[in-house]
Amino acid sequence: MTMNQDEMRRHAQQAANDLLCDVNGARAVLVATPDGFDLAHAGALPLDAGRLAAMVSSMAALGDAASREAAIGQPHCMVVDSSAGRLVMRSVQWRGEPLVVVLLTDTAALLGMVLNALNGVERSLGVA
Amino acid sequence: MKDPKIVFTGTPGAGKTTAIAALSDMPPVTTDVRNTDPTLAKSHTTVGLDFGQVDLGDGQVLRLFGTPGQLRFEFMWQILAADALALVVLIDNSRPDPLRDLADYLDAYQALLPSMNAVIGVGRTLECPLPTLDEFSDVLGDRGLVVPVLAVDVRERADVLMLVDIVLAQAEARDETRDEATQE
Repeated sequence: MTMNQDEMRRHAQQAANDLLCDVNGARAVLVATPDGFDLAHAGALPLDAGRLAAMVSSMAALGDAASREAAIGQPHCMVVDSSAGRLVMRSVQWRGEPLVVVLLTDTAALLGMVLNALNGVERSLGVA
Repeated sequence: MKDPKIVFTGTPGAGKTTAIAALSDMPPVTTDVRNTDPTLAKSHTTVGLDFGQVDLGDGQVLRLFGTPGQLRFEFMWQILAADALALVVLIDNSRPDPLRDLADYLDAYQALLPSMNAVIGVGRTLECPLPTLDEFSDVLGDRGLVVPVLAVDVRERADVLMLVDIVLAQAEARDETRDEATQE
């Protein structure tokens, strides 16, 4: 692992830890590369982190393709609103490197709070 | 009748995205992102799907789907293969163990393959003539599968068309067999 990747993982882990603490109802956070590798995670993931990273990257790429085809610009967030919780994904940048952050919540989490917290990750990684 | 769907799957770098682009009547939908895997010698890689379509001329449209190649995206292989008419497996013969690669895809699709129209396209056979096409057929034969194996260059539209023609012919033959069985 290069120094840069090591630093990226460290910042990703810090962001995952912070996000898990900041959001009421957050169960787990994962930071992945756009091509489906787990960089960092925090909390209790109900599935293998590598598998979730791959799924999240596929979904982010499909969201990107759908936005492109529909001519609605660059997607920021994707929400999977399910009966027992939510998966909320956001594309962020770390020193120009694209990353995907996903927050897994229970049903008590307020979507607006989750989106605001994810915006904060973008800002904190942006200055990291 | 639902428009038929053909799924292109196979190893990273085997040319699934290229094959669909070679055949599609429309600019294909792609989900390529920058590759960060140092073991993969390519700048971008498909992580979701590729999609293209071909007008068959009789009011029907052939839908072409491409899967990501890496094993970590195996969940997409299954999602995309649902309701497929046929499977085209592309193997890159320049990879370290192409026979093992084929075995991985046969494992992943083992529930579907016995009743699925399928063809194996092996690329880069001029630069890397081994393993031979017969060796690929042996891997299939060991599993009781009879699937055509061809050398292809997916940059050539004619080669991709040949793969599609083969699986469409298989589908037609299956329909005829089914019709005959129904009449008896």
